Order: sequence, then C-alpha cells, then structure tokens
Amino acid sequence: MANVLQTSFLPSTSSLRRRSISGSKGKSQSLQVKAKIREIFMPALSSTMTEGKIVSWMKSEGDKLSKGESVVVVESDKADMDVESFHEGFLAAIMVEEGGVAPVGSAIALLAETEDEIAEAKAKSQSSSNSTPQVVEEKPKQIEEAAPDVPAAAAAPSVPVAKAVTLGSAVHPASEGGKRIVASPYAKKLAKELKVDLGTVVGSGPLGRIVAKDVEAAAVAVPVAASPAKPDPVASGIELGTVVPFTTMQGAVSRNMVESLSVPTFRVGYTITTNALDALYKKIKSKGVTMTALLAKATALALVQHPVVNSCCRDGNSFTYNSSINIAVAVAIDGGLITPVLQDADKVDIYTLSRKWKELVDKARAKQLQPHEYNTGTFTLSNLGMFGVDRFDAILPPGTGAIMAVGASQPSVVASMDGRIGMKNQMQVNVTADHRVIYGADLAAFLQTLAKIVEDPKDLTF
Amino acid sequence: MHSTLSFSRATTVPTTNYAFHSQSPINLRFCGLRREAFGISILTRSSSGRVRLSTRGRSKRISASTGNNGTPPKSFDYDLIIIGAGVGGHGAALHAVEKGLKTAIIEGDVVGGTCVNRGCVPSKALLAVSGRMRELQSEHHMKALGLQVSAAGYDRQGVAGHANNIASKIRSNLTNSMKALGVDILTGFGTIVGPQKVKYGKVGFTDNVVTAKDIIIATGSVPFVPKGIEVDGKTVITSDHALKLEFVPDWIAIVGSGYIGLEFSDVYTALGSEVTFIEALDQLMPGFDPEISKLAQRVLINPRKIDYHTGVFATKITPARDGKPVIIELTDAKTKEHKDTLEVDAALIATGRAPFTNGLGLENINVVTQRGFVPVDERMRVIDANGNLVPHLYCIGDANGKMMLAHAASAQGISVVEQVTGRDHVLNHLSVPAACFTHPEISMVGLTEPQAREKAVKEGFEISVAKTSFKANTKALAENEGEGLAKLIYRPDNGEILGVHIFGLHAADLIHEASNAIALGTRIQDIKFAVHAHPTLSEVLDELFKSAKVKAPASTSSPISEPVAA
Repeated sequence: MANVLQTSFLPSTSSLRRRSISGSKGKSQSLQVKAKIREIFMPALSSTMTEGKIVSWMKSEGDKLSKGESVVVVESDKADMDVESFHEGFLAAIMVEEGGVAPVGSAIALLAETEDEIAEAKAKSQSSSNSTPQVVEEKPKQIEEAAPDVPAAAAAPSVPVAKAVTLGSAVHPASEGGKRIVASPYAKKLAKELKVDLGTVVGSGPLGRIVAKDVEAAAVAVPVAASPAKPDPVASGIELGTVVPFTTMQGAVSRNMVESLSVPTFRVGYTITTNALDALYKKIKSKGVTMTALLAKATALALVQHPVVNSCCRDGNSFTYNSSINIAVAVAIDGGLITPVLQDADKVDIYTLSRKWKELVDKARAKQLQPHEYNTGTFTLSNLGMFGVDRFDAILPPGTGAIMAVGASQPSVVASMDGRIGMKNQMQVNVTADHRVIYGADLAAFLQTLAKIVEDPKDLTF
Repeated sequence: MHSTLSFSRATTVPTTNYAFHSQSPINLRFCGLRREAFGISILTRSSSGRVRLSTRGRSKRISASTGNNGTPPKSFDYDLIIIGAGVGGHGAALHAVEKGLKTAIIEGDVVGGTCVNRGCVPSKALLAVSGRMRELQSEHHMKALGLQVSAAGYDRQGVAGHANNIASKIRSNLTNSMKALGVDILTGFGTIVGPQKVKYGKVGFTDNVVTAKDIIIATGSVPFVPKGIEVDGKTVITSDHALKLEFVPDWIAIVGSGYIGLEFSDVYTALGSEVTFIEALDQLMPGFDPEISKLAQRVLINPRKIDYHTGVFATKITPARDGKPVIIELTDAKTKEHKDTLEVDAALIATGRAPFTNGLGLENINVVTQRGFVPVDERMRVIDANGNLVPHLYCIGDANGKMMLAHAASAQGISVVEQVTGRDHVLNHLSVPAACFTHPEISMVGLTEPQAREKAVKEGFEISVAKTSFKANTKALAENEGEGLAKLIYRPDNGEILGVHIFGLHAADLIHEASNAIALGTRIQDIKFAVHAHPTLSEVLDELFKSAKVKAPASTSSPISEPVAA
C-alpha cells in the first residue's frame, strides 16, 4: 500500500530518470558531437499525462545544477511533482516559462555542460522558440508523422481571431456590437477542446449567447470553424487555385476507395414505411435514444436472420461468416470520414446502444477512437437522410460484404393494394453488396425482413 | 461583588487547554485567515460597511429607558440570557440548563438562525440531491459499477421542498428541545440597555426589560453584499435566496470561491447550470491549504461546466430587467481598472458574511464594534472601547468573528457557560474542524501547511508533512471514489498534530478523529495504535498517522491499552 502511495504523490525518481534518459537519447547523441548542450524534457509523470504545466522553476538561467537536483515543478493531470536534472551542468535557457504548457517529451529547457556554452545554448533556444512562438502549440520536433494533423504553428490562428470579431458583430446581440464574444463556461471549454474558434460561432442561447450545442454544431458542420490549422482562413476554408495534400485520414479514405474497385458490387433498393418507427423514436427520444441507434438495431436484427449478408469474401475463394454483428456507421468529421462500430448491435439493448453511439461519436470528434472501434465493422450504414437526401448509393468498404445507404424518411402519397390512397412516411434504402458472396435473392430477403422490423418495431426495444 | 469574582477567575490558569499560551498569537492570525475563506471582501472592503442590516426594523427607542442604567439590579430574572437562538445560542442554552442555570433565549426571527434556516441545513439538503444527480449522470462511474440508468432528471419544486422541509423539521427539533428543558424563549429583538439588563419586544409593542446575571450575545451574521451590487432576490441573490432554489439558471456567476460559493457551484452544476466564479484573490479557494485547493480545483472545477475570473472584483452587478441579462462589471483587483463585463442569467453573492450586531445597544455599555464584530478576548468576554472587559457580557459565534462556523459558535457558548458556572475554560479554536460539502468533500482542522511553516520558523521547531491517498483505501475503491488526499502536518520531534486536511469521499465525517486528537492533545505516536474497522474510509486517517515519522516514543501508559469498561 505504501508503494501505491509513493507513486501517486512522490514518484520514485529513478523511474523518472530512466524515462527521460531514453527519451533524450536520440537527440542528445547528435548534439554531443557539436557541443555539450542537453535538453530537459517534459517528463511523463503518469500514464495518462499528455502535457504538463510548468508550476515553477526552482533554478534560474545560469544556475549550476548537480545531478539529481530538483530543477522544475511540473503539474500533471494528477499532481505536482519535482523534476530532477539527469546531468550536471548549467541551466542555460528556460524554453517554457512558468505557467506554460508543454507536451510530454518536448524540450522545456537547455542544460549546458560548461559555463562557456550557456550563450550558445541561449542562441539555440531562441532560434527554436522563434519558429514556434506559442509554448502551448509547441510539439516535439521528433514526431514528424503527427505533423499533418497538428496545427503547424501558432501564427495562423491570430488571423481568424481578428476576423472573428468583425464577423461576430453581426451575430452577437449580446456582445455590444461585436466587441466581446459572449459564450457560456461550458461552451468555452468545449471550444477549446474541439478547437473551435468562438468568433465564428453563431450563438443560439439567450440574447445570442454561444452555448455548448452551438460549439458542437460548429465543430461538426463548419469545417472553417473547426480547423484553425488550415493555412488560409477564407470564409469557405479553401483557397482557390492551390493544391492541398491529403491529411492522413483523407489518404486512408483514398486508398480504400481505390481498393474497392477490385470488388464486383451490385445494388438493390427498397422503400420502407417508417410511421411506426417514427412514433417509437418520438416516444423514447427523451431517454437518449437516437435514430442512428434505432436503424443500427433494426439492421442488426435483420442480419441475424440473414447471416450471409453479414459475411464477406476475404480471399476470393470462400465465405467468411462473421461470428458477431458489428454495425459500422459512417460519420463525417472534420476533414474526413470515419466509421465507428457498434459491436454486437443485435445483442445490446437500444438504450445501451444509444449511449455507446454517443460515446463513439464524441471520441471520433476528439480523434480518440481506438482501431477496434472503427475497423471491426461487418456491415456498414451510411445515412444522409438528415440532409434531405432521398436516395443515394454507397461504395462498399473493403473487407466487408455489404453497405446500406439510407435516405430521408418523407411523407409520400401511397396507393394501397385495396385501391385506396393515403399518406405514409417512407424512406428509401439501397444496399451495395459484394456479389461474390451475396446474391440478389439474399439482399431481397434481407430487405424484406428489415422492412418488416422497421414497420413493426416493437422488437427494437425488447 | 460579582465583578470581583469574575476578576479572580480571570487570573486562574487555564486548565483545560495546556497549549493555549504558546499558541495564542497563531490562534488570532488563524482566525483572521479563516475569515478570508468566507469572503475576502470583508477584509478588503471594510470601508464599505454594512449594506443590508438597516432592512430589519429594530426598535431604536433606547434613550427612553437609559435613565437607570448605571447600576446593575440586585436580583436577577435569569441566570443567563442569550440573545439569538441560532446554533450557538441553542448550544449554550442546553449546556446552561445542564449546569442548572435559569436560562432564557431571545429570538427576533426564527429559532435556528442562519444555520438551520438559511445555511448549513438547507444547503445540505440541496447537496444531497446534487451528489446523487452527479452520480447518476456520471456514465463512466455507473459503468464502472456495472449499473445502467436511463436519463436522470429532477423536479425543482421537489428539491426545494426537501430543503425547506428539513429546515422546518430541524427548527422544530431545536425549539422543542429547548422548551422541554425549560428554556424560556422570549420573542422579539433583544437590546442591551445596561449592565446585566436586556429589553426585548416586537416592533409596535411595548418592550419588556429582563435582567440576568450573565448575558451572551449570539446574534450571528447576514450575507455580506459588497457595495455596487444590487440584490433583487431573483436574479442577483445571496445564499438566503439561493437555498429556496426558486429557479435554476442556465448560467450563474458566483462571486466568491470560498466554501459557500463552492458548495453552490456543486449544486448548480449538478442541476445543469453552468457557473462562472469571480474571485478577488489570485487563486480560487483561498483559505484552504494550497495543496488541497489545487487538487480540489482539478476535481471540482476543471472537469465541470465552470470557468472563473481571478484577481477581479465584481464592482457593479445589475439584476436582469427590461429583457437584459444580469450585467457584472469586473475590475482588476490590483490596477483597479475595468477588466471585463459579464452577462449572465443570475449572480450569487457569496462574498462572506457580515456580523449582525446593529441595534444591540452596545453603545449603552461603551462597546464599539470593529467592522461590525463585537470585540472579545479568548474567553469570549466582551471588550469595551477602553480595552476593558465588560463584566457578565459575552459574545459568541459569527457576531465576534473569531471563527464563523455554527459548531464553533456552539463550542464557544459551551465554553462561556463553563466559565460562568465556575470552571475556567478556553476553547482551542485550532481543534475546531471545518468542512465544505462538495462532492467529494473537503475538511480541515488546525493549521494549513504555510501557516504551520511560518509558525515553525518563528518558534524554531521542525515540521513534517505526511500524505495518504484515497486511491489506496479499499472502501473508497469499492465505492469507485478513489479520488482524494489526506494530509497531516505535524511535529516530528514530539508527534503533535498541527493540522489535518482531507479531500475525498466523506472527508467531513473523517476529520473528527484528527480534531478530537488535537482537542485532547493526543500525539501521533499514541493514536497510531488505535484500531480502525476494515474496510472503512477511516483507514485513510489510520494510514496517515502510521505514515508519520515521529521521533518521540509512544506514551508508556497509552489510554488505548487500558480499557475503562472491560
């Protein structure tokens, strides 16, 4: 027990020391050739720590440090801890001031071996801090791969902020003609988290105040607002006449789309009456149930009866019948597309499924989905109904057997068998499938089952 | 005759508190700091004076009866009269009856005072609701326990009703307990007309004059509202209004991040509001141990729908009217320049409490209040304008400002009764615990670490700090509430406990082991042998005492090893 305590409040310095040495190895070796200037890194003080805040520097520039001496107090997500120096030398330059935040692994100060090298180290720190003026945005240079996803530098956001204020004047009656942005505390927190520029958000709260849902909407819908990383903040977010390379995610989408051309697909459509489903949705919406979850559940229940539609063709020679029904649902996120997966959608009850879905979407927006949360789908749903699209067809994601495109449910005039005419809410669905394993009759039967479930949805809630 | 007696008592060496003499300078300072926790505005804006007191109509017809003030009466109607039937007055009255004193209590408002009617009691009802809401809303927490709950909701009227019911229930309990013991409850505003003489009466009725051998002032306090703030009771409110929970605003600004503000932020965020703190000091939660407040901020503020402005005064607050929201002008605390303007749905003024001592007739006995507080010595004896003790007059609770807590008032009252019944007694304020009932709770007793360090330097001894985490406690983990810290500040040379601070599940209930140890002078090397049931949260303190490294050996005759009833 005592050990547990020690780790949470007084980390044994040996572990810290080890970690930081290994972190600095690659860098310091090359440095040592030129001069004995070492970097002091932001240590990882807990497994969940991604960035740390400098509480205070216990030494100032020019001070002599002995090995094992405390240099700086760092605040992590859990506690404040002293960080010790791993080498002897002089604290040459402080790169992150007190109160500043730096990601784990990034340099926060330079350590010179002799006094003569202090000036050199200072020059070095200045050149590197000039290129990245804002400590908060500063990322370790070693992690090159992350570059496309990460806001490159802090210079860019200053432009949209200035713009935002003038833009704001028209939309914030609460902000004294645009002098201030009025946003609720949670909206501000969310905006920071989702990297939404509040100046570009139109408030829907009392007196035009920006509330949380405005920020959420802005994060999903308006790519401009959500991407201060874009080099040029023109209203549309796109500078005409330029070539913009794919982000990592867009590259992955591109590869998958080309790969899909090697699969022989065909499409089958069906019109389903949704009055009963709509009524059910209205009834249980207040319990947090979403239409997406209802559709996923209905699809999963239909797939139980048609395992072949849940199968796929891996090698061109066999059926792979999947043991679980995992419904992937396509979601548009900032700068791309991702398919969070509702695992075992046939077995999980609708309320849990809805909660799970909300959780996945939040994670997707925060770019925190784990691989198993987006690549284990066995059947995909793509729904553009909320945008008023009444029919479309989808491209089959490689590695799965079928994808269903769902259109909007709309009131339609319907002639019934007995010669009457009536109004019904109808939606069109269109399944794209791999004809190597799924045949026309399979899809037809599956769609018939699905229609039955949707038209009599009592089974969806158990 | 009486005065002679009382002087001879004053020279008696205190027997109950061996440590008092060495601690007295710290004790005073400590109280000052404690007051800070309740709202720094009292300290920083003392010039602004009191705002609301004039609203309570007190009879000012004192001069009519001052003719025969100079001489104390020969026989008395009562042994003890207590002005104010709050928790302090109630505690004193009960103890006085136990000691055989003929006791009366004068109450101009409702029995129970602030604590029962507008403070601790109804706020605990709201916090009980907020704690449960918080749990039910925490998907993560529920999931970890394997529970499934569909959307949790609440009925504002029902919540407000719960708070109101509990207040009236406790109020009638208090009233009944005093009546049952034979305490006379006199209704009206009490005014001191001369030595050992009090008059009371309702406005518009003739006053009654009663005499008593000893008088205790226990008139308490009212919410302090700094100037420039217009309280309308609807959108700009004090804790008095907030406890009625007449509406739950979408966005509420809370001025002051002491324990009142913190508790309300817990309630409002659990009920769906977003909160903005306005704190005049540079740090949130001033008055708490810095380490505790830092941790508390990480748990109680940062992950919740709360933002804050520190180092600013709310210099002007205008209630919502004519379709405009509540407007708050923020002024930089240092530069005094306008800094920002907030537009919110409601503002709660939690800048502390001001003593309620106007109209007490203190001028009749030559007592001048200090910023409204009645000056007293360490035995709660009232000090007059010339620095002399006023015989037979005591002041306890918020009205003296030593430690503005309900249970401190009660303890002071009991201490006074002990004195007037012939046993000298000085309350050790360092043994009085304090608690903040957020989720999780914060509690403390004794000195904070900076205070202890300062004292250590001044008096030339060493101090050490021990800490334990709730993460290492089995019961806390079973409850899935491992977030928390207990911290012990002590003298390694003799094992004296200087301060204990707890942040975590049921911290308010856990603190008493430490406060009792301080009150009884129990040392760490002895208390560490006390046994705690397993698994319980109390083992957090067990671990804490055991992790302390004391050089002194355990007492040879430990009271623990000699059971009285075996």
